[in-house]
Amino acid sequence: MAALRDGDFAALQILLKAPSKDAVRQLCQECFSSPPAALGPLAQRACPGLAVSAEEAEKLVSALHNLTRHVVYRGLTGAEDILRLFPENFHQNLKNLLTKIILENISSWRNEAQASQISLPRLVDMDWRVDIKTSSDSIVRMAVPTCLLQLKIQEDAALCGNNPVVSALTVELSKETLDTMLEGLGRIRDQLSAVANK
Amino acid sequence: MGLLNFTREPVPEAVSADMHNLNQLSAQQFSALTEVLFRFLTEPKEVERFLTQLSDFAAMNKISLGPLKNIVKSILLVPNGALKRNLSSEQVRADFIALGLSEEKASYFAEQWKVNSPTLTRLAVGQTLMINQLIDMEWKFGVTAGSSELEKVGSIFLQLKLVVKKGSQLENVYVELTLPQFYSFLHEMERVKTSLESFS
Repeated sequence: MAALRDGDFAALQILLKAPSKDAVRQLCQECFSSPPAALGPLAQRACPGLAVSAEEAEKLVSALHNLTRHVVYRGLTGAEDILRLFPENFHQNLKNLLTKIILENISSWRNEAQASQISLPRLVDMDWRVDIKTSSDSIVRMAVPTCLLQLKIQEDAALCGNNPVVSALTVELSKETLDTMLEGLGRIRDQLSAVANK
Repeated sequence: MGLLNFTREPVPEAVSADMHNLNQLSAQQFSALTEVLFRFLTEPKEVERFLTQLSDFAAMNKISLGPLKNIVKSILLVPNGALKRNLSSEQVRADFIALGLSEEKASYFAEQWKVNSPTLTRLAVGQTLMINQLIDMEWKFGVTAGSSELEKVGSIFLQLKLVVKKGSQLENVYVELTLPQFYSFLHEMERVKTSLESFS
């Protein structure tokens, strides 16, 4: 999480050189979504559009990243709250434009932050199949139903970048195991409703 | 010897002699021995206990342990084969008679077989191959209060730890689910249960 620094607002004024409002909008989104490590290359790409030096582009990109992430971190939702962040002498129109862009994107940015949160490996898909075992080396004839459950699990998104590693785990459950599992899941559901009803 | 139910292969020669020796036991002794055998069959892991009970039986009835073990080996051929082939108690009785056991003792053993076969069948089914068997499931759920990117979050997470048997080792698999995923998972598992029940 980036904190707002003193030089940030000064750097933001470089946006006055942007060719269009859409360019500013685009840059805001890219700066929010980019992890700190990827800000350098982003600045280099933004350079030509803004007609500024590499150093200035970097300061701008970093400032935008900090500002957008700060708003999302604090959970600011009102225009007033965002406007209040800017210093007194900040360019009025730019301030309004940035606030407008931020408000437009705030909820999708919040979802993005939540989705990329650290977590244990996540369940992405599940499939199941019921088989009937008819014979084995220990019993020549039987009719035992069994369940095969396949869970697709994705490793922590932050660690994998753009190539999330998804592994498939197939487990076999007997009827008894399934019953016990359902008992446990039922208890979870009951506790969840108790929490929700408080 | 005619066709046997419990096996298609030829029976070792020693078996007839063993059956003949068995016939020499009194009804009481045969009953005691049968009890020891079935206790072992229903709890196959208790090998130590089985051997102890056999040597106790041998001592009490003044039989040498060595020959007794051979007799027991011969007897056990029948229930093992019978279990594999889902034989009825009449078939078990017929096989013992065909092997040379007296009618009285064969009927007694077949009766015990009938009584114990549900337990034994369940054991055999339990031994059937399972791939990545789910042994245990632990869970916890809670609320994410905040993160480095979001000061206040307040979302519910659910974490499952699945203990899976891979070959002879146990492996722990950790998974996190969102609330909607949990409800959908629960729903699917209930559908599986309905499906399994309709086939039982």
